[in-house]
Amino acid sequence: MNPSIPPSTAEYGGDEVSAIVLDPGFSTTRAGFAGEDTPKSLIPTYYGKYAVEGQERLIFSDDVFVTPRPGLSVHNPMGRDGIVEDWDMAEKVWEYSFTSRLTGPRPGNPFQNGLNDIADGELPTEMDGVETEEKPLADSPLLMSECGWNPTKAREKTIEIAMEKWGTPAFYLARNGVLAAFASGKASALVVDIGASNISVTPVHDGMILKRGVQHSPLGGDYISSQIRALFKTNTPQPITITPHYLISSKAAVDAGQPSLAKYKTFPPEKAPDASYRTLLEERTLSEFKECVVQVWPGPNKLSATGPNGVSNEEVAKNNPGRPFEFPDGYNQVFGLDRYRVVESLFDAKAAIPDPESPFSAPTQAQTVPELIKNALNGVDVDIRPHLLANVVVTGASSLLHGFTDRLNQELMQSYPGPRVRISAPGNTAERKFGSWIGGSILASLGTFHQMWISKKEYEEHGPTIVEKRCK
Amino acid sequence: MAAADVRDMLDLPAEGQPRPHKKQKVVEKRPEGITRELYALLGERAPPIAINENRYKGRPKWMSKLRVRPWCMAPFTNEARSDGLVLRHWQRQIDTAKPALEGPETEGEEPKQDEGAPPTPDQEYLFAKYNVKARVPRRYTDEEYNRHLKSDDWTRQETDYLMDLVEEYNLRWVIIADRYDFQPHPVDAETNNSALVPTRQVRTMEHMKARYYFIAASMLALEHPPSEMSEAEFELHEKMMKFEPERERARKELAALQLERSADAVREEGVLLEELKRITANEQNFIAERKELYSRLEVPISVGNTTMYQSSQGLSQLLQTLLQADKSKKRRSILGPEGAAPSPAAQTPAPNANARDSRGDTPSNAPAAPANKKAAAAAAANKEAQQNIRTLTPAEEAKYGVQHHDRLAPGVQFRSDRAQKLTQAKSNVQTQKLAAALAELEVPLRLVMPTERVCKEFEKLIHSVNLLLDARKVAEKVESEIRVLEAAKQERERKAKEAKEKEKPEVKTEQDDNPAPAADVTAEPSAAAPSAEGQTETTGDKEADTGRGDTGDVAAREATSQKRSASVLSTTSDKSTKRQKK
Repeated sequence: MNPSIPPSTAEYGGDEVSAIVLDPGFSTTRAGFAGEDTPKSLIPTYYGKYAVEGQERLIFSDDVFVTPRPGLSVHNPMGRDGIVEDWDMAEKVWEYSFTSRLTGPRPGNPFQNGLNDIADGELPTEMDGVETEEKPLADSPLLMSECGWNPTKAREKTIEIAMEKWGTPAFYLARNGVLAAFASGKASALVVDIGASNISVTPVHDGMILKRGVQHSPLGGDYISSQIRALFKTNTPQPITITPHYLISSKAAVDAGQPSLAKYKTFPPEKAPDASYRTLLEERTLSEFKECVVQVWPGPNKLSATGPNGVSNEEVAKNNPGRPFEFPDGYNQVFGLDRYRVVESLFDAKAAIPDPESPFSAPTQAQTVPELIKNALNGVDVDIRPHLLANVVVTGASSLLHGFTDRLNQELMQSYPGPRVRISAPGNTAERKFGSWIGGSILASLGTFHQMWISKKEYEEHGPTIVEKRCK
Repeated sequence: MAAADVRDMLDLPAEGQPRPHKKQKVVEKRPEGITRELYALLGERAPPIAINENRYKGRPKWMSKLRVRPWCMAPFTNEARSDGLVLRHWQRQIDTAKPALEGPETEGEEPKQDEGAPPTPDQEYLFAKYNVKARVPRRYTDEEYNRHLKSDDWTRQETDYLMDLVEEYNLRWVIIADRYDFQPHPVDAETNNSALVPTRQVRTMEHMKARYYFIAASMLALEHPPSEMSEAEFELHEKMMKFEPERERARKELAALQLERSADAVREEGVLLEELKRITANEQNFIAERKELYSRLEVPISVGNTTMYQSSQGLSQLLQTLLQADKSKKRRSILGPEGAAPSPAAQTPAPNANARDSRGDTPSNAPAAPANKKAAAAAAANKEAQQNIRTLTPAEEAKYGVQHHDRLAPGVQFRSDRAQKLTQAKSNVQTQKLAAALAELEVPLRLVMPTERVCKEFEKLIHSVNLLLDARKVAEKVESEIRVLEAAKQERERKAKEAKEKEKPEVKTEQDDNPAPAADVTAEPSAAAPSAEGQTETTGDKEADTGRGDTGDVAAREATSQKRSASVLSTTSDKSTKRQKK
């Protein structure tokens, strides 16, 4: 393409105003410039906190994982239900997400950065104009996403931060379900978002969510992790303990199922990081396990059911070749049927592996994905249900579980044999992971969207309540 | 699957090396930086180093002559916004110097360029035009509401709330119904609290639609009374007034049922649909076949006169003309004058015609002429072959339909043609009269079954009808003459009487005598009629002759002849009907 000719605007209706799209999630926070295809800045929402010489220090981004500092504890500003709990820290994490890679660090206070030291005998110069320049987002409109059940208070708080702390000239708050639908090019869709802390089903009609249809349940990626932990505890030939990499000093190859011969690092209690740090790193191993081993029984029917030719599905699954996995300490094992069992409870609550120590209570049938979809559809007008079923958008990183969309398709076909069920799930990993961010990137770079922004002036006129009126 | 695997399966000896000739086919592409001549010098083995370097492709040559047109970050405002938010985007700077040099493909973005770096206030934002709103009716005033729009079911506040929502969501009912959350006024709730708890109604989409349509229709009617509405407006008004929430609700219930069908029901429906498709396809097939059959059966009705083709001569003539036309069309002149002969299309009809002619010509060698029935003819031919000189008895002749002809006209002709010819008289008037007479006798003009005997009888009938017609003609003539003469006679008598009266007044006796001969005359034919029955024709003729012979004779005699001819007429017609019956 000739670089001197811009793509004609009629082709995609785009008009880029260097807006920043911020898609905060429980596990990761995505930020990037509108009009790009992937977020430039992807950081974990977890942050580390430790104290040096009595002074509290914070660690953001991937740096959290790297060094096991003494007393390092890991926190998450988001609640498990996807709503911000710790606003101060959320603001800091989010700010870090775009200042670190997109806008550059915020310039320090010009009075204190040394450049503006007043020489003796000089009168202080006028510094009124400087204040606005300090704000990190002074020249980028900001599009943020939120979950469909975000309460009004949280929304108002968000616009407050964006307008007053970051000084953005224009702001908009969009539902991530809507954005995910936009990312797959649909204005009306049933968005099934399988996230880390939540799974949610959002009916979207003409670019707006149908609030009565929004469903969510906690059976997200973290729940699957807890199921895997439960499986490891009852594992044969021996229970598996996950030892993160930072605790291993060296390891040796062992045969499958044999106890590991690794040498471990030990930290004296005063140097050891907090337990939450270990949990976070264990989570990393577990997500690797999920990527490599875990598989969803593709259906038809449940894993516990009997197949059409009298052979139980479990038998069939058992006969499939197993998948090996090596843990950081060198222990390795081939996982057969078990790799199906850990995710079966997403579809069949009875199949959950019981674990009394898990922070997750045993799931109910109403929390499973097919039931959520059923409830979501029952909450919307009957006329649009077939259309929604024909436009099921699957997004969220946990939906990348092997065989997930096949199973979902089977389940939906079984519960709705009449209408046409069509699942659109991008095969590209990045597109699936960043679905709602990409939708936001598309939305914020559309020429027709620029009338939707809440401008600074409007915010000053109406206050934070304007977000309820404008971001419907 | 590789070739080796196939060999392995078929127990073929493995080939030592993959066929080398295929490899040679790969033609190395000449790198771009090298001229053809230089590349040819390199020979088979190109040096392993890369000669060409990756270069930035750059812009086409013609473009380098153009001036670089800079882009700049330009602020803009959006007219669709009320707050004048200034955002900034990259824009091409206006190129005022040489706009003519631009390539044709950049023409499309001309309007965007004009927006230019310095924001011109009159330039509208490109996307502002997409800011469209649904047309909602004008908001009612208090008075209008109280007079026309009051409802027991809806309070004013709730109606306002509904109208706000409709406007806000641009008539997207799905979303309106989803977001509808009317909180009754807190003051009202407080006052009602002690008395009765206000039941929170659940408004369905149908309720809302019904209310909104009622309001919209009423407002429309207030604006223009229905008599003054334009057609579109009236239609809209009608549509909105006729909204039935109950029916809509029932429809939705059905839709929900349809959505919740079980897999079996769906399968059955699929089967039924398939069946239906099959049936309709069969029906279509059947209809198509029947149509084709009909089109074969239906001969196009010719508009032209076909009488000339009804005789065999006419037909053969037609054949000849068609052949001529065929020949001239095909332009066989290349093959010479005999060119037409080898072409089968031209040849086949000719021998046929010859064969027909010869068959018609050769009854002299055979004792029996070919009959109309082919089977009979074949039987006769067989017989003839078996024994040449066997004579047939009359019974056999009748049985086989063998006939003897004194003289035969050349060519084939139909027996019915001959019968037909009889009905054609010389003059048109006569033909019509003949036809009328036949119609009176209920004999069809064209014979239904023209067998030999029927034809003979028909011939006879026609002959007698002709006679009858002649007689009728003569009779008419005579009658008119009689009338003339009688009139003349009366005149004469009157004159004579006048003359007598002049001479002597008493003529009474003579006048009384006069009626007697007249009575005689009337009595006479009734007596004569039975006797005349046997020889009617001759008498008729005689009478005619006599009538013709002495015109202007005595009135009395002529009167009898007239009466007689009338009776003859009736008897002949009787006779002919009898014959017909026979």
